[in-house]
Amino acid sequence: MESFRELIVMDSINHRANVLTPDQSKMLAAIADRIFPRTETPGAVEIGAVQYIEAALAGDYAALAPLYRQGLRAIERCSKAKFRRAFCLLSEAQKDQVLVDFETGAVPGFKLAGDFFEILRCHVLEGVFCEPQYGGNRDMIGWRLVNFPGQQFGYADAYINKRVDLEPVSVNSPKPQGK
Amino acid sequence: MAKQLASAGLKVVGFERGPAPKLEDYAPRDSIRFLIRPEQLEWVRHEPTTTRNKTGDKSRLQYRTSPLNVLGGALLHWTGQSSRYMPGDFRLFTNEIESGNAERAGADLTGYDIVDWPLSYDDLEPYYERFEWEFGISGEAGANPFAGPRKRGFPLAPLRHSARMELFAEACRKLGYHPYETAAGILSRPYRPTEPFDSRIPERPACVYCGHCNFYGCHVHAKAATLYTTIPVALETGNFDLRTRSKVFRINTDGDERVKGVSYFDPEGQVRHLRARVVILSAFVFEHVRLLLLSKTGRGRFANGLANSSGYIGRNIMAHGDVRAMGAFDDYIINGFIGPGSAAMRIDDFNGNNFDHTGLGFIRGGTIGTSGDGTPVARFDVLPPDVRSWGKEFKDFYTRYYTRTMDLNMQPETLPHRDNRVDLDPHHRDRWGVPLPRVTFDFHQNERRLQKFLADVGERIMRATGASKVWTEEKGRPNRWAGGTRMGANPKNSVVNEFCQTHDVPNLFIVGSSVFPTMAGYPPTATVAALTYRTAEYILAQKQWFD
Repeated sequence: MESFRELIVMDSINHRANVLTPDQSKMLAAIADRIFPRTETPGAVEIGAVQYIEAALAGDYAALAPLYRQGLRAIERCSKAKFRRAFCLLSEAQKDQVLVDFETGAVPGFKLAGDFFEILRCHVLEGVFCEPQYGGNRDMIGWRLVNFPGQQFGYADAYINKRVDLEPVSVNSPKPQGK
Repeated sequence: MAKQLASAGLKVVGFERGPAPKLEDYAPRDSIRFLIRPEQLEWVRHEPTTTRNKTGDKSRLQYRTSPLNVLGGALLHWTGQSSRYMPGDFRLFTNEIESGNAERAGADLTGYDIVDWPLSYDDLEPYYERFEWEFGISGEAGANPFAGPRKRGFPLAPLRHSARMELFAEACRKLGYHPYETAAGILSRPYRPTEPFDSRIPERPACVYCGHCNFYGCHVHAKAATLYTTIPVALETGNFDLRTRSKVFRINTDGDERVKGVSYFDPEGQVRHLRARVVILSAFVFEHVRLLLLSKTGRGRFANGLANSSGYIGRNIMAHGDVRAMGAFDDYIINGFIGPGSAAMRIDDFNGNNFDHTGLGFIRGGTIGTSGDGTPVARFDVLPPDVRSWGKEFKDFYTRYYTRTMDLNMQPETLPHRDNRVDLDPHHRDRWGVPLPRVTFDFHQNERRLQKFLADVGERIMRATGASKVWTEEKGRPNRWAGGTRMGANPKNSVVNEFCQTHDVPNLFIVGSSVFPTMAGYPPTATVAALTYRTAEYILAQKQWFD
């Protein structure tokens, strides 16, 4: 039996309120992919960071939804001013240049650029490493990447200077729907 | 407190403004809920404080995780570091100022208000012991050469060693320091107190080292928390009437001499009144000050706040300004997510007055110990300054080093300063319409020098561990609050006496770190607990009050 709170979280993941438009979601994915990129291993997008953020914006982080919309518009504006193309169409290096402008707060007409970038960065990384019931960290890939074995009941060994070889576990994971 | 008084046959009514949590509310191993979004917890969210750095600044709402508005309070989520203060920690005026130590150090103490405690370590020693044996503290007597004398050892052996502890201990020995295992409010073995201690407290299992500890509730109940130790015993007596979701907003006076009870909002928001022979505040620093100021009367002795004839209510609040040293290892796996945080090694070579301060420009010190537990969602900002916090560079660092970093945590003593205080916020109110407590706080010259000094010591130790990369965080962040209703022998410059009884009102008591005149370089918890046992004993001795 899930607690009341988990039901709310699940609800916001399953029936994602359309906090962002499809274009904004696409942009969010493009940004997430620069913050925690796909390399020889999966990046933020495959790991589910976008789903995590959208669920959060429809729930606990609802107060930040206006900032997200404003910030994404500003990123688009900035891309067009700098490179005359939409953010999603920029090269990786160009995307990074735009994001650095936000990181350093050097965006004319958008005072919250630095704050927005920092919030975005944290949320993407939360989405990579969160407990899976929040919609991110799909298949515990985020945890596997850093060799964290998840929400273990405990550790019988102190693993001093020793790789932890346990299969990751998550507790309170949502049960599969309709089975 | 409730357990001690109710067990002696007194009828006790306990008020808690928050809910009584169930296991699934406080102990799922859920880092998003407890570390990332704690302000979403009902018991954190519904009553913030406001903060500002100095008088004249605008105050801002701040949600804090330390004064939890929930049954059991901060002991639910504390790390468990259970340090007794050292004998010298109770005598700052005598040992630092009168002795000429501050002058030799070249310390600038302008603006500070430094005093001795009205009681000594020896006065508190039996009560420290009671706390350690009733709640089950794990530690080793005699391991710390700077600790005060103790009549009895610890009920439990220290917690299992972690990689952090091994590296730190070896580095400290190399440098000639004196490492010891932190006394921890976490059971290293299953435990139940036996006579002469309170054997009604239920048996609890040992720590399983899950690592979801600091800021989380314990899912096996190995952590020392009143919620599942003393509160059930108090309820069992039949003399303890616990009222949760009930918020006291005023203490009522009976003329100019005594208090006669409290007024509170019940769970439905209705105003209720309760008469009592004794009123005991135990609601943390900010709420103590707030309640006493809210309880002022139109005229008479309490026109400036209840028990405030000294004008000291809200003054001299303190908080540690913790600094850190971090290390990343190429050739050693730390696995820092394995807990608990209080399974730690410490040194007190640079705490209190344990080292020569001549020419250093500051007095006092702080304890230094290992830390650095945390799930991946809590550690992604632990990065060397030359590693970018996002992109491929971040990913490469974090995937390689998440299991290979550790921290040292320094807890520099903060001195009582006249500019640091709590009062009622003129602009912000809570959901009942009552003014919020406003915290005006900053670190001053002695703290800043001490914080820098301790960060340097931490860096030196971290280098000696063999870490491949070492960096520090030298700017203290306020942590662990104390002061605001100072204890003292002189009613002119303090609020309560050594029994936590207000000077102005004999049947009004205040328990908690708010009574600390100075705060030492250790967490306050063990000292709060010891003072609470001592105060309970004093109240029970006033038989004439309860005839």
